[in-house]
Order: sequence, then C-alpha cells, then structure tokens
Amino acid sequence: MNCARRLARITIRGFAPYATVTARESAKCLNPYGSGVQTLRAFHAGFGHLKDQSVSRGDGHPRHEGSLVTHDSLFEQAAVEARTKAMFNRVLEVFVRKDIRRRGHVEFIYAALRKMPEFGVERDITVYNKLLDVFPKEVFVPRNFIQRMFNHYPRQQECAVQLLEQMENYGILPNVETKVLLVQIFGEKSHPMRKYQRLMYWFPKFKHTNPYPVPQDLPQDPLDLARLSLTRVAADPDACVTVYQMPSTDVSETIVADVSLPYVVGIQSPEQRSLLAKHNASRPVFVEGPFPLWLRKTCVYYYVLRADPVPPEEKVQEPVDPERSFFYPLELDLDLERDLGDDDSFDVDEVEEGPIFAMCMASRGDQATLAKWIAGLQQTNPVLGRAPTLFRLESVSREIQRAGESEPGAEPGLEEEPPHRQAMKQ
Amino acid sequence: MSLNRLVVFSKSVRCKNLLTPLIGQFRSVTTIQSQRSFRTYARNLVYAKDLFLGKVNKAEVFPYPEIDKEELEEIKQFVGPVEKFFNEDVDSKRIDHEAKIPSETLNGLKELGLFGMQVPEEYGGLGLSNTMYARLGEIISLDGSIAVTLAAHQAIGLKGILIAGNEQQKVKYLPKLAAGQHVAAFCLTEPGSGSDAASIQTRATLTEDGKHFLINGSKIWISNGGLADIFTVFARTEVVDKDGQKKDKITAFIVEREFGGVTNGAPEDKLGIRGSNTCEVVFDNTKVPIENVIGEVGGGFKVAMNILNSGRFSMGGACAGMIKKLIELTSEYAGTRKQFNKSLSEFGMIQEKFATMALNAFVMESMAYLTAGMMDRPGMPDCSVEAAMVKVFSSEGAWICVSEALQVLGGLGYVKNYPFERFLRDCRILLIFEGTNEILRMYIALTGMQYAGKILTGKIKEMKKGNVGVVLQMLGKKVRESVSSTVDLGLTGNDGVVHPSLADSAKKFEENVYYFGTTVESLLYRYGKTIVDEQLVLKRVADVLINLYAMTAVLSRASRSISIGLRNHDHEVLLANTFCSDAYFKNNFLMAQLQKNAPENNDDSMKKIAKEVLEKRAYICSHPLERTF
Repeated sequence: MNCARRLARITIRGFAPYATVTARESAKCLNPYGSGVQTLRAFHAGFGHLKDQSVSRGDGHPRHEGSLVTHDSLFEQAAVEARTKAMFNRVLEVFVRKDIRRRGHVEFIYAALRKMPEFGVERDITVYNKLLDVFPKEVFVPRNFIQRMFNHYPRQQECAVQLLEQMENYGILPNVETKVLLVQIFGEKSHPMRKYQRLMYWFPKFKHTNPYPVPQDLPQDPLDLARLSLTRVAADPDACVTVYQMPSTDVSETIVADVSLPYVVGIQSPEQRSLLAKHNASRPVFVEGPFPLWLRKTCVYYYVLRADPVPPEEKVQEPVDPERSFFYPLELDLDLERDLGDDDSFDVDEVEEGPIFAMCMASRGDQATLAKWIAGLQQTNPVLGRAPTLFRLESVSREIQRAGESEPGAEPGLEEEPPHRQAMKQ
Repeated sequence: MSLNRLVVFSKSVRCKNLLTPLIGQFRSVTTIQSQRSFRTYARNLVYAKDLFLGKVNKAEVFPYPEIDKEELEEIKQFVGPVEKFFNEDVDSKRIDHEAKIPSETLNGLKELGLFGMQVPEEYGGLGLSNTMYARLGEIISLDGSIAVTLAAHQAIGLKGILIAGNEQQKVKYLPKLAAGQHVAAFCLTEPGSGSDAASIQTRATLTEDGKHFLINGSKIWISNGGLADIFTVFARTEVVDKDGQKKDKITAFIVEREFGGVTNGAPEDKLGIRGSNTCEVVFDNTKVPIENVIGEVGGGFKVAMNILNSGRFSMGGACAGMIKKLIELTSEYAGTRKQFNKSLSEFGMIQEKFATMALNAFVMESMAYLTAGMMDRPGMPDCSVEAAMVKVFSSEGAWICVSEALQVLGGLGYVKNYPFERFLRDCRILLIFEGTNEILRMYIALTGMQYAGKILTGKIKEMKKGNVGVVLQMLGKKVRESVSSTVDLGLTGNDGVVHPSLADSAKKFEENVYYFGTTVESLLYRYGKTIVDEQLVLKRVADVLINLYAMTAVLSRASRSISIGLRNHDHEVLLANTFCSDAYFKNNFLMAQLQKNAPENNDDSMKKIAKEVLEKRAYICSHPLERTF
C-alpha cells in the first residue's frame, strides 16, 4: 500500500513537470527564444506543490529569493565572457574556493541548476556531479536514530533531490560517482539517495520504451533531415526516397532569396506505386499539407498525395482465378464458414480512409514547388498525367525549424506530442 | 486380439499352409487381377483422400502391388547394364568438378535408352511402366547431375507431349527425344513467377495470318536450358472465353530451338547437381506454328499441373537408391574404424544412425513402389496426393540420412576427396524443386480437406444448426468409442490383410486413421473454408497424412514379403514395426496439437515472433552484453 502510494507520488513528480513543459514548449515553438527562466520557475512551482510534506521548505523560500541575486550575478558575470562548460566549471570552482564553509551553497546550487541550460551543460553528467560536489561532505549524514527518523537537514536534502530531478527531466542517468557523492553527503538512507535509487530503477527500464527512437543529434543538412523524416513517416523499408530537386542558390545574384531553388524530396513505396496505378484517373488526387512531424524539438512539415476512398460501388471483389496456383488450391470450394469459437478477430469499427500514394517534404510549401514533386512522380506513375491534381494547402506557410534554432532548455528525452491541429483545409 | 491370432495360427497349422492367414489378401489379389482385364473407366477409388474421412480403402493398397515375372525379368535385364554403366563409366567427381556431363557419358546414357524410359515403344522409347521407371531411377540417382538432367528431359520436359500432345506431335517429336537426339526442357518459372500463374509474363501473340504464335519473354532456372532442342513453354495468350470476354490464359507450346529467337544465358553456378545445366532461356519473337500448341489454346494450366503432378513419385526410388549406396559406403567405414579398441559400429549412437538410414530407405522404397504400382493400374488413377507425399517424405528423409551418414564419417565426410559431401550438396535440391515441400504440404492437406469437406459439409451444417438427432448420434458414437477402446477398420482379424506379426502396428495405424478422421472433421467444423489460411494447421495435417501413408506402405510391403517368404523378411517386419510405433507417437502428438487452439499449441507465438522479426527485417534482441546503465 505504502509502496503504491510512493510509486504514485514518483509518477506525479516525474511527469507533472513534463506536462507543464510540454505545453509551454509547444507554445514556444512558434516563438523561439522565449522566456527560458520563466519556464523553469513554473516548473519549480509545479514541483513544489506536489512536494512531499515531510520535506520542509517553509523558511527556504524568502532567503532563496534573496540570495538568488548574488549567485545569479556570479553566473551572469561569467556569461558575459563565454557561455561554455569550462566557464561554468570555473564558476563552481570559484564558489568552492571562496569559503571553506561553503556558506549559501544551497542557493548557489539552485542558481546553478537554473543557469545550466544557458551554458549548454544541462545534459552533462560530470557537471551535475561537480555541482553535487559543492555540498560539504559528511556534515548532513545522520548520526543517530532520531536524526535518521526525522528529516535531517531538509533544505539540503531537498536541494539535492531537486538536482536529481533536473537530471531526470533531461534524461540524464546518474552514475557511480553520483552515488558515491550522495552517500558521502547524505548517507545511505537519505531522501536524495532514495531519489537516486528510484532513478536507477526506472530509467533503464524506460530507456528503450520508444520503439521508434529519434537520433539524439538530428542531421544538420535539411535534405538529410527530410530524408530521415520521410523514412520515419513512411515506415516501410521498401520505400525509396527520391530527391526531385536539389536546393541551389545562385550566389552571384544579389537578391538571393528569389533565385534560390527549394529542395523537394519525396518518398514512395512500391506498394503505393501499385495503388496509384490502380487509381481511377477520372477521380482527382489531392496534394495536402503541411502536416507537422516532430523530431525531438524540431518540427518539420510534410505533404501527402492522396485520394478519397474508393466508393463502395466501384470496389470489385476480384474472384480468385482457379487457374492461378500451379501447385495447390488457393480456395476451397466448401460451404462452411469459420466457427465462432475460432474467430479470433475483434469487432472493431473501422473508418476507411483514402489511400496515400506518396509523401514529400519541401523547403517551400507553395503550389509551384509541390507541382515539381508531382511532375517528378509522374515519370514513374503515368496515371498522374491523366488524373486531375488538386492542391489543398494550408495558406500559412511555415519555415522548417531547425534543431539549432530551437528553444534550449526545458523538456528532454521524450517525444513531444505536437498540439492537435486541423490540417485539412478545403 | 491374441486369441484371434491363435485361432488364425491354429488354422494355418491345420491346413499345413503358411499362407492361409492371408486368405483375405489372396482373395483381393484375385479380384483385382480379374478386374484388371476389363476395367477401363477412370477409377474413383482414392486411398489417401479416404484417410481424411477416417476410412482405410484397403483394396487399393493391399496387397502390395507386384509386377509379373516377365516384367521382372525385363527390368532385371535393364538394371544390369545400367548399373554397370554407372559404376564404371560415370565419373561423378569429374562431373561435379567440371560442372558438365561429358558427351561420352551422355552418349552412353542415350545408347542405354535412358532418354526415353517412359516413352511408349511405338515412338522408340523403352515404354517402361511407372514401377520400372522408379526401379531404374534408383540407379540413375547415384549421380545427382545425371538424374536431374534425365528427369528434366523426360519427367517434365517431354511429359507434356506424352500426356497431352496429339498424335502428330508425338510422331514428330517423341522418337528423336526418346533416342536422345533431342533434349527437352520445361520452361515454366519466370523471374516474377514460381508457382503463381498470374504473374507469368511471357506472352504468345497470334500472327496476322493466324498460323503462328510469336513468343516473347524470359524463363529462368531452366534445367537443360543450354542443352535442349525442344522446349515445353508456357505463355500467356489471349483467349475469348464463353461470355465473349477476352481473357489471358496460359497455353503450352512445343518450341524447337530451330524456330529461332531462342537464346540462353550462362549456366548457373549451383551448390549441388553441378553437372546439370540450369540457365535462363530467352524467347525473342520466336515463331511457333499453331500445330505446336499442346492441348488446346488456353489449356496450358491443366497441362502444367498434370506434368508437375505426374513426375514426383519417382523421387522415392531415387532417394532410397542413394541411401542404400550410402549405407554400404559408411558401414564399411564404421566396421573398420576403431576407437578405444572398439569399432565404430559397436557404439550405440552410431548404430542408431544406421537404423535411421535403413528405416528411411525402407519406408521410402515402400512408398515409392506402392505409389508406382497404384499408378500402373489401368484407368489412369489420380495418385497425385500420394506422389506428393512420396516426394516430401523421401526428400526430407534423404537430407536427414545424408547428414547422418556424414556424421558417422566425421571429418572424412566433409572433405572433397570423398563423395559424401557431394551427396549432401546434391540432395539439398530435392526439398526445393518439383514444388517445394511447403507447397506440396499445402497441396496434400488442401486436396484432402476439399474431398472430406464435400462429404462432411451436410453433417457439419446440421451439427452447427443444433440438430438434435445429429448431435445425439455424435454423442452416442463418442460414448461407444470410449467404451470400446480399440478401433477396428478391418486390417487384422478374419478378413485381415495384414500379417499377424504386424497386427500390433496395424492396430496402431487403424487407431491413428480413426482419430485422423475425427480430427479432420473437427478442423472442418472449426475453420470451414478459411482453413486455407491456416498454414500451420495444414502442415500438421499433411505430416499426419504422410505418416499414415508411410505406415500403410510398410505394412503392406512387409505383409507381402513375409507371406511369400522373401529373403530377410523378418528384418522387414522389424523395420515396419519400428517405424509404425514411431510414427504412431508422432501422429498422436500432431493430432493432439491439432485439437488445441492456436495459443495453446504455440502457433500464435510462432507467428508473432516471425511478425516482429520480419517487421524489422532483422533479429531484434539486444546483445546479451548490452547494458542500460
């Protein structure tokens, strides 16, 4: 019972921040370089509400706020020079050397945690360990059963838990060094140690839950990114990617934007090709889009070539040719159906959708660019020459957001769900 | 049971005639022989299909088919020289190494008449019956390359002319083919079409004068493709069917290389049967006169089916011949090689291998000659299911036996100085060609299911409707079964056809047959016509049927041998009894699985595993040394 409650608490703790961040993040994708600090604050608050009552935080808050200024300024001074890992480490060293008693280390750690994304070290396990190392050793280890029973040095413990929590949110797995530090600082059975154990229990389990992992570093070249995204959308190992138009820019011209050619990359599987070949040419095919695809923090857009579902009156069930298989009958001439007891199929309401014949990505979503795609497809799919092609494109054309430009900080490790969007527009 | 046997024995002693226990058998012998003279209509007696109904049509398979004395003398006259030729003039190692059969060897084969074994004498062939053909096949199979070359020539290549050709075609082509002046090849497979007729791309179009067809297309993996002068080609033609619509149908043609436009690619470099010529054959506007259509235009599918179905039985004899040879070769080694002061033949595990080989050879032989004998009966009996079973059983048995023989030989079997590795390579193709074993299992099971389904549909429908009478009848039958534990289908006892020394095995066989009948019924009840999609179920059905047919064959053969006192008949009885008890357990296991649902017999799991693997097209487990933290 107790275990279950604790588990539930962990889950809430673990996922509530995600939820906040996800919503925030998705809102931000339209507005890069949003307020990162604010994000983190909200995330703190969210965490705080759900916090275990036993971890007291009452007096911490005002002082926390007060001392924040000094410690923040330490980082801000450093940030003027360079926002690098080395600089971040130097700030830590400076703090550690400044005072043998490490006065104000909790505030410092909070401030450091907040500044980590700015310095680009939010995914660096060594930096987290170094930050943990700021805590004085052995001082907070409970020495008797009373200390062990009550919350010994709650602020420090909470701070360490917070640090681990941030690691968790970025998907950073603690290592042995983290464990050693935690044991040295808080002892074997402290709250941070528990947090560490929970992390070590769940993280490995969840590491490979996504059956369709996205590479940590997305390709920089938009063409490669398009290739990756299209193969991901197509999810068919036979599908082949075709570059219909290479991106090119006429450098000699002064007005670069007008002469640059957008890239057009498409994907089509042999199965889709045969589907398209069977398409009734008197019915139109539609080019629709853009549809969003999220790859970690990058959102790309793709277009599909599709048709309406074949109306039932046009569907002809082709009878199996009795002279088809040289070796064995493909059908039995029997008047017996499958027995209900052996009918393992589920009763599912299936809504039939129209076939999708091909997908493409282009750096520009206007009709002229996509027409090039259709023209390219036509070479292998002659039916496109006969069937009318209608473009049903969303008027707002969006630029593809690149990984580098995207918002730093916030949510790691998980696939963001894009906000639901009505993509079809008549 | 034992009482019964005592009575039978006492009777036989009283009559001072050892053959009386098989009175029934004799009676049936006489009836069959008397029928032989005037039966001309197509037989509707079917043995294997009746097993699906839980019936043993014993008149079909008991007594074991015999050939008469003259025929036996005749075949012995053939066998002698052929055996001598293969022992002395065929250098299999060289054929394998050079990937070519030397022309003097081919000429020798022609002189022996082996290019026209089944061609009737009036067309210059040997006119052998199926039985005699199987007997010669045993010897020919000692060299895989020659066996395949000859089989491609006459078991499929010229078979079309033989079974579906008209008189003019026979007169025109068969004499030269039988003499080996011309070599035949069978062109069906295409790059996009193995067993699927719908994907045949080769097309024959009628010329404007209506007297010729122009054939265009390419055929792959054509045995004898580089040697052949006459091809049986299957191509698509436009046919107006009875509702006046134009449709594409398959037509069979006789194409001479002389017609022009026939080219072939380089011979394929194969794993085994390296001496046989396999290559791609391309037809480019080959002009074929309309007289060269085999059968009728659009009737090629039937022709192809018949050719394919008719050639398979001979593999049993061929494999048995090969295993017999292997036993000779390996037992010599096992008898002379000593380890720990004991010869290999004294070790249990080595003994087991020889027993396996002997059993397999015995069963294959029995099945092959039983089937050949059935096919030789007048009235063109349809033995395609039986033939397919012989093919599946013997090809798999041969693969196992060759591998066991290699195991006995150890490293010796693995080196090229000895012929064993060649046997292994050669016999791997047996599981693949002439219809893969998987496809043939589908054929065996579905043909039987169709037959049984036709008969049982009414009954099953009544049961499904909840007809009280039928259900009660079923229940009564079930109760009677549970009370009387033995199944009696009439193989033993007074009217029995099986020798008493095999009575136990016969009882096991009868029990298997009976439960097979009920299993089939329940399968039809459960799956109906959707059983076509239950390949794993069908595989088991086919396996049970193959075992049952093999049991029949050994029971029948051993009964005959013991009754007429063939040499070493006691060994045959031993083999038969051993095989039957083994097959009995296998059948019971398979049928127990068949009565379960997919989740219980692992079918679902197997399918799921395959699905997950095929989705990723790779083995998807993490490496055991991987870690997550």
